[in-house]
Amino acid sequence: MTRHTARVSRTGLAIIGLILLLGAGAVLARGLSASTGVMGSPDAPLLTQAQVQYPAANSWVWPVVAAGSFVIALLALWWMAAQSRTRAVRRLPLEPDRRHGTTTLRADAATGALTDELDSDPSIRASDALLHGSATTPGLRLGVTAENRADPGLVRAGIETEALPRLRGALELEKIPTVLRLQFSRAFDRHLT
Amino acid sequence: MNDADTRAGDTAVLVPDGERPVPARAGAWSLPGPRRKARREFRPRRRIPGVLLAAVLVAAGIVGCVWAASAALSHPLWNIPYRDFAGPLQSSVHWDDTGTLLVASAVAFVGFLLIVMAVVPGRTRAVPLASGDESLVIGVPRRSLRRSLGWLAADVAGIDKAKVRIGRHSVRVRATTRLRDPAGLRESVQGVVEDRLARLDPLWPVRVKVRLRRKEGGQR
Repeated sequence: MTRHTARVSRTGLAIIGLILLLGAGAVLARGLSASTGVMGSPDAPLLTQAQVQYPAANSWVWPVVAAGSFVIALLALWWMAAQSRTRAVRRLPLEPDRRHGTTTLRADAATGALTDELDSDPSIRASDALLHGSATTPGLRLGVTAENRADPGLVRAGIETEALPRLRGALELEKIPTVLRLQFSRAFDRHLT
Repeated sequence: MNDADTRAGDTAVLVPDGERPVPARAGAWSLPGPRRKARREFRPRRRIPGVLLAAVLVAAGIVGCVWAASAALSHPLWNIPYRDFAGPLQSSVHWDDTGTLLVASAVAFVGFLLIVMAVVPGRTRAVPLASGDESLVIGVPRRSLRRSLGWLAADVAGIDKAKVRIGRHSVRVRATTRLRDPAGLRESVQGVVEDRLARLDPLWPVRVKVRLRRKEGGQR
């Protein structure tokens, strides 16, 4: 998911940056008389009288400008939505063969079981999980906050060898691409042995 | 990293370092694949500039649309008669005016910055850790690792305060002590931090540097 939104954000930034750079570059080229033959003379006015009069003489100009602005606003809105989407999976199909009826599992039931199991570990303070992507091949985003005094090797081994295989078994999936963000919090209130 | 284990006995870590099971590793240090994957995963997404720019464009598009529509209906909302919508621009401003060039340079600079933001990978937001499973990518956010190592170093007996900075391949600890004779203290801080890093098993080797300062007016 993060990779997808990163691509969406970076591509949009590159396109808009390129448009700005090229447009401003053209203005600079003409202003600095880089190529008078192609661009026109640098000491001409920015807008000629004829250009200023053009929208008044042609009634189609303003509606077209309005439509163009509307399209830009819509595209930008879509871009904004695409960048902030989490693409979370809500329901997971458990019965591959549709002829025998369908069985679905609520995704938050699966992730809830995972986080409950993780939270019951005394060296884990908090955890959150999200399944994202497609319902048949979801990815998992897992955040775990461990006690700072706990051994991170053991915490990680518990997640890798117990919690994740159990989730894979529950969802009947061979593998779930997982991104684990491991954080630490200070243990003030209890001691670990 | 091996000498960290031998030193760990005289440090203040509550859990003694013994024969704890370590999860199987795929020898990921030598493999470029997992490193590339982790880097790609934890690279900055550029979501904040992206969303900000999108918001600006949405606002500009809506304003432009409303204005042009009102002008099309011959009732411009703003006080610019559509007959000379260019206002101050017409015939008095030229291509080679300083103002024109300055504005164009500023816009070009903004465009350049946007392209740089889009193209430069940026520093990873998290320090990637090795994982035994190739479908699993693990990372510790830089800030969390910094605080975690700082707490560990400050928990060493005799250490007053500890600050940690995390670079690309190094961890720098600046610790202060009030002890008069801080012999061996620097080494035990180094041992604690190295031990923790060894347990975390980062995807690329991290060097630990500890600087110890003695604060006057402490315990006598």
